[in-house]
Amino acid sequence: MKYLFALHQNSRKKVMILLLLSMIFILLYMTIGVRFDHPQLLAYAMRQRSTKVIVMIIVAFAIGAASLVFQSIINNTIVTPCLLGMNSLYSLVHTAVAFFLGTGSVFLRNSNVAFLVDLLIMGVAATFIYSYIFKKTKFNVLYVLLIGTVLTSFFSSIQNTLVRSMDPNEYDTLLTTLVASFSNINEKIILFAVVFMIGVMFALRKELAVLDVITLGKAQAINLGIDYDHTIRKLLLGVVILISIATALVGPISFLGLIVANLSRQLFWTYRHQELILGSTLIGVLVLIAGQLIVEQVYSYAIPISVFITVGGGLYFLYLLLTQGRRK
Amino acid sequence: MRVKKLTKSYDGKNVVNGVDFEIPKGKVLSLIGPNGAGKSTVMGMISRLIASDTGVVEFQGKNIQQWKSRELSKRLAILTQSNNIQMKLTVRELVNFGRFPYSGSHLTEEDEVIVEKAIAYMELTQMQNQFIDELSGGQRQRAYIAMVIAQDTEYVLLDEPTNNLDIYHSTKMMQIVRRLCDELGKTVILVLHEINYAAFYSDYICAFVNGKIAKFGTVEEVMTKENLSQIYNVDFEIMKIEGKPLSIYY
Repeated sequence: MKYLFALHQNSRKKVMILLLLSMIFILLYMTIGVRFDHPQLLAYAMRQRSTKVIVMIIVAFAIGAASLVFQSIINNTIVTPCLLGMNSLYSLVHTAVAFFLGTGSVFLRNSNVAFLVDLLIMGVAATFIYSYIFKKTKFNVLYVLLIGTVLTSFFSSIQNTLVRSMDPNEYDTLLTTLVASFSNINEKIILFAVVFMIGVMFALRKELAVLDVITLGKAQAINLGIDYDHTIRKLLLGVVILISIATALVGPISFLGLIVANLSRQLFWTYRHQELILGSTLIGVLVLIAGQLIVEQVYSYAIPISVFITVGGGLYFLYLLLTQGRRK
Repeated sequence: MRVKKLTKSYDGKNVVNGVDFEIPKGKVLSLIGPNGAGKSTVMGMISRLIASDTGVVEFQGKNIQQWKSRELSKRLAILTQSNNIQMKLTVRELVNFGRFPYSGSHLTEEDEVIVEKAIAYMELTQMQNQFIDELSGGQRQRAYIAMVIAQDTEYVLLDEPTNNLDIYHSTKMMQIVRRLCDELGKTVILVLHEINYAAFYSDYICAFVNGKIAKFGTVEEVMTKENLSQIYNVDFEIMKIEGKPLSIYY
């Protein structure tokens, strides 16, 4: 509450409305189609759904914060951390496990193990790749984008090759783990993810505090006394780790970041990241819950949520491109 | 502030080669020279935006690379040519950033007063709540200068402040530069392409050719027919207007 009042007056109202909307959405999600007359079923549904809601909140925050930070580092509002190649690395890891160890392997079937393995591989690879390459290219953020794009194709090509020589039944089983899903997530994983994320945010508290200044560009940031290269490097690592957490938790979903970060920018109309990140988290919660409601209640799980996110996000991306072009 | 034997090369090409000079305090110093002479690179090294290969920039008796960046930002401000902001930012919010080295993101009442004054000084009070990306080039440049004023530094470095401005706004900008020095007592160092602006509004001129200093001295010393012809490889005539040497080239 105290935090809320520290916000700018204009934003406070918007945050309140978003907060209220999120509550309503969560309430709807928790109650629609629940059998209130049957205590056992009720308890089961509540446990299932509350877990999903918590996961959605975590993912919304991780993706929203990572996207905003990433956009500010690159100084471009239509990039998404998708470009860092974490989605395709995730697909590759899963495909490789299924290919070499079979879909019956403990690495795919036990979600705890799968989460840890995903997080470990993505975290280590990304930290190594981006921290090393960033230094090697003399801290040029555009190279980061370029390398991310190349890596995305690289990982996807390997994954494609593996898939082609795979048993069709195995592929079918594999496919279910390659789409984002909020089902079957273990409580222990959630706790771990939350603790890990708080740790990341704590380690980055100094860097996050100067994000607003970073958006002024490299020269201005240095002029105002910021150790630019060091700060950007730490922030970039934070972005990759947040994305890795979200992806390991639910699957490839970082395209969501483009939508929530830009909606938040359009709604709050400010440069202050504190408000933008809060806004994008809440918008993320709204989008995810609405999407999940449609997936569960209208299509009864026939269509995965990532379809809606990709279609909606794609259209929104086009809209952004067109309107940005017109402004110039 | 002293520049000692600076060198810098990119891909084996020497851009700056043994540049050595002292920056006169409380004066306006213009760095001029043809394209690729290394003046902007020297400026970058003076302002710590670019690291030098060899040589040091000594600021108040200490190598500029050894200063704490935060401390330096209270003493030295730099404004570069490219300032494109993608974010929604008002004039007032931009000028607020000038106080960042002192108070971070949470401004004190004293900071607010300083910001207010800086905005008034640049005659931006009327438009202080407008967004930066909705201003004209001249207004935007003034907003940045207001930020530099709010930063309250002894030294102000400007990299081609008249770039992309029309004659009216360029002239206004140069008058502002003069006022920064005369009224606010700042040492101003600027990179300029227009030699006549340099001649009319600065105290000292440092001319670069091929990464070396060709001439350094007061405006009168540098602005001679022979010097300029040598530096730019074009014919020059010098005229006196209001007691200052101005050049005509053709």
